[in-house]
This record gives sequence, C-alpha cells and structure tokens, in this order.
Amino acid sequence: MLSTLLLIPFLGAFLLLFWPGQPVPGRMRVVTIVVLALQLAWSLRVLLAFDPDDGGMQMQESFTWVSSIGLDYRLGIDGLSLPLVLINAALTLVSAVCTRDISQRPRIYFALLLLISGAVNGAFLAENLLLFFLFYELELVPLWLLISIWGGKERAYAATKFLIFTAVSGVLILGAFLGLALLTGTVDFSLTPVLSERLSMGSQLLLLGALLIGFGIKIPLVPFHTWLPDAHTQASTPVSVLLAGVLLKLGTYGLLRFCLGLFPEAWALLAPWLAGWAAVSVLYGSLAAIAQRDMKRMVAYSSVGHMGYILLAAAAATPVSLLGAVFQMVSHGLISALLFLLVGIVYRKTGTRDLEVLRGLLNPERGLPFTGTLMILGVMASAGLPGMAGFISEFLVFRGSLEAFPLATLLCMVGSGLTAVYFLLLVNRAFFGRMAITPPSDNPVADARLDIRLAAVAPRETIPAMALAVGVMAIGLIPSWLGRISEAASTTMARLPGLLANLQSGGLG
Amino acid sequence: MPIISADLTHAGGRPTAAELAAKLLAGQTLLAETANHVMQVVDVLESYGEVLDAYSTNLIYQAEHQFLNPVPAFRYLDGDLSPGKIWRHLIHDRLNFEYAEYCQKSMFWHGTGGLDAYLDSEAFRAGCSAIIRRKTGRDPLLALLNPLFPDFLSELIRSAATTHALGQFWRVMSDLFLDLARAEKDGQISTVAAVVEFLRQGLVAAAANPITYAVEVAGERCWVLPPEAGLTFLADVAVPYVEAVFLRGMPFLGTVSFNAQAQQVSPDQSTFAYGALFADPLPTMGSGIPPSLLMQDMYRHLPQRLHQWYRQTSRGEGDVRVKICLSFQKSMFCVTNAAIAGTFPQPLDHPDPAAQAANRAYAASWAARLCQSRTDCLDACDL
Repeated sequence: MLSTLLLIPFLGAFLLLFWPGQPVPGRMRVVTIVVLALQLAWSLRVLLAFDPDDGGMQMQESFTWVSSIGLDYRLGIDGLSLPLVLINAALTLVSAVCTRDISQRPRIYFALLLLISGAVNGAFLAENLLLFFLFYELELVPLWLLISIWGGKERAYAATKFLIFTAVSGVLILGAFLGLALLTGTVDFSLTPVLSERLSMGSQLLLLGALLIGFGIKIPLVPFHTWLPDAHTQASTPVSVLLAGVLLKLGTYGLLRFCLGLFPEAWALLAPWLAGWAAVSVLYGSLAAIAQRDMKRMVAYSSVGHMGYILLAAAAATPVSLLGAVFQMVSHGLISALLFLLVGIVYRKTGTRDLEVLRGLLNPERGLPFTGTLMILGVMASAGLPGMAGFISEFLVFRGSLEAFPLATLLCMVGSGLTAVYFLLLVNRAFFGRMAITPPSDNPVADARLDIRLAAVAPRETIPAMALAVGVMAIGLIPSWLGRISEAASTTMARLPGLLANLQSGGLG
Repeated sequence: MPIISADLTHAGGRPTAAELAAKLLAGQTLLAETANHVMQVVDVLESYGEVLDAYSTNLIYQAEHQFLNPVPAFRYLDGDLSPGKIWRHLIHDRLNFEYAEYCQKSMFWHGTGGLDAYLDSEAFRAGCSAIIRRKTGRDPLLALLNPLFPDFLSELIRSAATTHALGQFWRVMSDLFLDLARAEKDGQISTVAAVVEFLRQGLVAAAANPITYAVEVAGERCWVLPPEAGLTFLADVAVPYVEAVFLRGMPFLGTVSFNAQAQQVSPDQSTFAYGALFADPLPTMGSGIPPSLLMQDMYRHLPQRLHQWYRQTSRGEGDVRVKICLSFQKSMFCVTNAAIAGTFPQPLDHPDPAAQAANRAYAASWAARLCQSRTDCLDACDL
C-alpha cells in the first residue's frame, strides 16, 4: 500500500517526461493535477487503513535491495509520518494548481514537482537510514532546478546557496549514519535506537551533533538559516509553498525520527542546550522578520522562528510537547503555504512585495479584498489565535515544554507575541489605509490623487488559498482529528529514553 | 525589487491655477471636450437627478412633518408607515438619505451667504421664540427640554430651516438634471460646452426664486424663513451649498486620512478642502463616508448606456462605485463651471478694463481653490 505512494508520483513524472507531442503547459498541468489528486486520494486511503491506537510502524513493506551495504527497501508509517504524508500530497497538489504562468519547459517543471513529492513521501516512509538518505538527497536536485530555472532575478545565487547548504546537510547526515554503522560494527541501517545503545556517550554525542547540524540546516535553525530567505525570495510561489510547507518538514521529521529516535540518551543530555537553541532561533527569526520590508522574506523569517518551536518541543520530549511538534509541523505547513500563496497573488497583481510601497490592498473596489481577508486569517493563525491551527500547536508545545524548560519556553512565548507584531505590521502596511503601490509622501492630498488599476483576482485564483484556510480552521476547531492519529506515536516516542534505561538495567529482560 | 507601479497607477494632469483661470475667462470648459465625457456627465447627472428628487422630497418632509421632533425615528419613510415600506427600510432596500443629512449638516456647519446671516438675525430669533412658545404649550417633552437647554430648540429650528432650504435647492437641481438628460436624448446637447451652458442657464433662470419656509404649529401657520427675509435661490442657497459641499465638506468624513497634529488640517474653516471636488473616489470602507453612500444610491438609478460602459471598463461591476464617483466628479466640475460662468461680476466680453479686471480677479480666486481639487479627473481618460 505504501509503495503506491511512491509509484504514483514517480510514474506520473515519467508519464510527463515521455508524453508524446508538444508539451502544452495547460495539458501538462492537468495531468500533474490528476496524478497528484490520485496521490492525495491514496494518502487518504492509507489514513483510513491506519490504526491510530498503534504507536509503532504500520503497513510495513520490505524487500532486500543491496543488503551488502545495508540498503534495504523498508517502508512503514506511524502517527508521526502519516500527517506529513497527507500534507505533502495536499500541498504538492496546491502547488500544481497555483502554477498558472509556466510557459518555459512545462514538461520538466511538472515532472520535477512530482519527483519532489515522491521523494518526500519516500523520506517520510523510509524505515532504513540509507533509504531515507537516498530520498532526502533525491528531493534536493529537483528543488535546486525549480529555483534556478523558474526563479527570480537572483535565482542563480539563491539556488547555489541552497544547494551548498543542503549538500552539506546531506553529507553530515550520511556521515552520521555511516558513523553509526562503523562504530557499532554492523551494516544494519534499520531504524532502531538499540543500535546507539552500544555506543559510548561521546560517540553518541558526536553522531547526534552531526545529525543536529545536518537537520538544523534543513529546518532551518539559526545560524544555519541564511539560505532560506534567499531561496524563498527567488523561488516562484508554488515552489515556496512546497519549500515552506513540505520540504522544511524533512528537517523536523529527521530531528524527531533520527536524532531523538536513534539517540534518546544523548538527546536527553543535550536537551537543555537544544531548548536554548530553540529559544534563540525563535527570537532571532521573529526579530529578523520585524526588520524585513519584503513580504516574502518576512514570511520566510517567520518560518525560521516557528520551526524553533519544534526543536523546543523535541528537546522537552514529553508526550504533549511531541504531539505539539506534530501539530506545529502540520499547522506551519498549512499556514506558511497559505501565506506564500497570498503573497504570490499580491506580487502577481502589483508587481511588488515591498512593504514600504504597498498600502490599502484591502480596498473593496479596486484592491485585493478577498486576498487581504485570507491574509488576515493567515496571520491570525500564524500568531496563534484561538480557533485556528496555530493556537493548538503552540499551546501544546508550550504546555508540554514549560515544566521541563521554563525559561526557554517563556522566551519562545515572547517569539509567539513577536509573530503578532511583524504580521500586524505586514497587514497594517500593505492592506490598511488608502490604497497605493507607490512610496507615500507627506502630502495626503497628492497621495490620494493616484488612481490604481490592479487586475481583479479571479475566484479560481483563490481556491487553493481558500482550501488551505479551511484546513487551518478545521484543525483549529477540531484538533482531535489530527491528535488521534499522532497521539499514540508521540507517546511511544516520549517513552524511548525510559525504555532504553530499563533495557540497560535489564528491566525489560 | 521591481516596482512596476507606473503601469498600474494613473496620476492624471494637474493644471495650474493660471491655466484654470485662463480657461474660465476664455469661456472654455474645465472638463476636456470629448463625446465620452458628454455621455458620462449627462448620464451620471440623470441618475443624480433621480436621487436628488427623492432626497429633496424627504428633506422637505422632514422639515415640515418632523419639525421639532427630538426623536425622528421614522424620518426617512416620508410618512408612509406601511409594513412593506418599513421592511424595505430595515433590509436597507432604500436610498441612503443619510447622505442628504450629511450635506445638510455640512451646509449648517459651513454656513455662508444670506441664509446663514438670517439664521443669526433678530427677526429669526423672534420668530423662533413664537414658534417655541406655541409648541411647548402642547408638547410636555419640549416643555421640559426648553428650560433645561434654552438654545436647543432654536438650534433645531435653524437646522430644520437649512434642511428645507436644501430640499428646495435640490428640487430645482433635480429637475434641471433630468431636463438635461431629456435635452441630450432629443439631440439638443452633444458637447461638454453645451452641458455647461444648459446648467448655467438653468441656474440663472432659477437665481431669483424665493426661498421660504413655514411650518404648521398647533393649527397655525408660522414662518421660519418668511418672504420678507428676501432669501433667493442662487445667492443664499446655491452658492453656500457649493461652498459647503463642493469645496469645504466635512473633515474626517472623506476617504483621505488627515493628521491634525501634523498641521494637515487647517484651523481656518474657510480654507477647508474636503468637499466633493476634493473627495477621493477610492473608498476605504471606513465608517461614515458620504461619497460611498451617494454612489450606491446613484448605482440604483444608473442609465443603461452608462451602466453598459462601466461594465466594459476596468473591473466591470466590481469597482462600479469608484467609476460612478469619477464620473460624478467630472459632472460636478461642470456644475461648478456653470455656477462660476453664471456669477461672473461682468459679462466676459465686456470691453471695460475695470470690468475685465474684476472678472480676472473673480476667475483667479476660483482657480486658486480649484487647482488643489481633483482636477486629475478633467482629462479624457479611461476609468
């Protein structure tokens, strides 16, 4: 069943590459949407077959591949990966739907989208470390191409920076995995914490450090974040949606699955430092967001801040905080995708994202009123207002982490308050007041003489954003749907350090 | 970051005061002479005429039948209290009579001319006292209010007098605008110059119409604005109306935000520039924006030809109120143009240098004010 989640996008990519005749953009897009809808439907089928009471891996599939080097094809799904598989299917579909103005090489563009979606599914489902790494790297090249071919003016710089950072991340992760095998003397790359138990604490810390930096780059955490704002600024809207909504989650997923999952003892030792790192990341991301005048960079920096919550939750590693981490991954995926979509609409209509220039876009007659409404909803969700996804995830993270790391949690709460600051700045500057897309002067009469002629946003252009907004509200109002899927898995994960301690003392024997 | 606002924004031309004065003295129209402008101005004035007809009826009803009513809850219903009318009122299937009241309040606040002078006169005070005496004798609520707030009832009467005068003014203007539309349909009018001339003649014809106002109190007819006051249409109502509504308007009810602390609001009322000719057609949908109310009312009575054209430009129905406001401002410049042409101190072709100097001074004083207004709408351009 899980292999189909890989087959659908990969076969779809091949279908596009070998589609006979001239690649008409519209037709390529429709085929991609059909393939991705199929992937979403299959992901929902997996959801229906999933047993939420089982905290372990389910629907496992395996066959021996290159066993001499420990590379086995082993897939499985649990409450941590299932929400991410679902969000991958949904957001890739959204990306394809909101791709409207691709005239250049549509065949390759859509094939790369499908390739990324398949690779991400593979990474979330892999139960073998090398298999995970394979898919982790597989996603890298298509994304690099998507930025460097269909990006903005500075795309070459941004894409190269992204490539270098992420390649270093890959090297560190592979190094840690190989180191694990080398130090334990096995070629067993299956996902089991017992492996690390054979290592000295020093070795564990070394390997965990490599993984932390590797995934820290991907998440990204301060100070490894500098590639993200550049990549977002230069990427087209659909690619930004994928990058923020799905690809950053590979980092946080890796953090939970491999750092916490493989090295629970070393993790517990480093946890206070990690909580501090999370607080620094949250505060730095939020303060940097306040200073931005490009809407997209502001949303990108908000990602840096919000991904810090996940590190905090993982550091605390309580059942509630880990559940909060899953919620945060899903809600950040939806909210940041929504915000990038809306910023994309603003950019397409006005030709700028400059907050010093944009004003009054909420104007009901000649502005972008519905886009503005969704933007307000999006920023409210991001700032963690009750009734929306952001509130549930932040509340769970803070509630779960407060006892373990009160100071770091309080600092992260300050970051949550700062989210309201920078997003209200964004909304106030760009959407309120007299509409204009030119810098304001000190003469309101002269400013008011400008007649603005923006093209109207067609209802179909806002359908993807509306769907995401509905998702954000649904998770906020009925969080038990997602909670039920992930609760057992997060509880199991939180028990890992205790289980290992028992194992060492022979308690389970 | 690329800013392509030049493609998306249109600032319009800004003629100087000298250019405007020259046009006025030469007898040229302020509005650019195009066939499209004729269509916009005539049609938008036709819808405005329909709206003014209802405003005028309601204002006169309010002044006569809601006189000294401290809680006039049903004042917009014109005395028709049938369930159907009340239902339509409640679901807002009606004109925004509030706009008429805003204009009345503007005239009241920025009172100029003979009407304002009469409202402060001894004769008016004496008339008020007589009316209040008769009224309080039969109305216990007013009898209680009057000694508590001695100026309250006379202020209400002043307000009612302005209301009635505005009702009478709009009665004339409504008929004039509807006549203009008929004349254009009959082929008598085909240029902007002809529109301005038609309006000028209408204003001049009605110039000497007397403005009077009487109310019935306890079975007796009492004058509020008696014929002896000698108030006339053009000098005592039309010119103060233009001053109050076209030029000065009301601060903070427009769509441009002004910062009083930054000295963006003049402490001198006579230099206020928040009227219809200065209004920003782009509403921000904040509370209390009169232009939006009027545009909504005109939208209900839009002639087919103009409506069809609006559907084909920019966002079609999506920004139709903004387009109505742009056309409305063009038409108001025509009305202002006609009013100026009709009130020159001397004929424009008068050979006497002194008369020419007086005309030049008159034109210059108007041009100095108009050059700050939204003259960007005077050019021929797409909406």
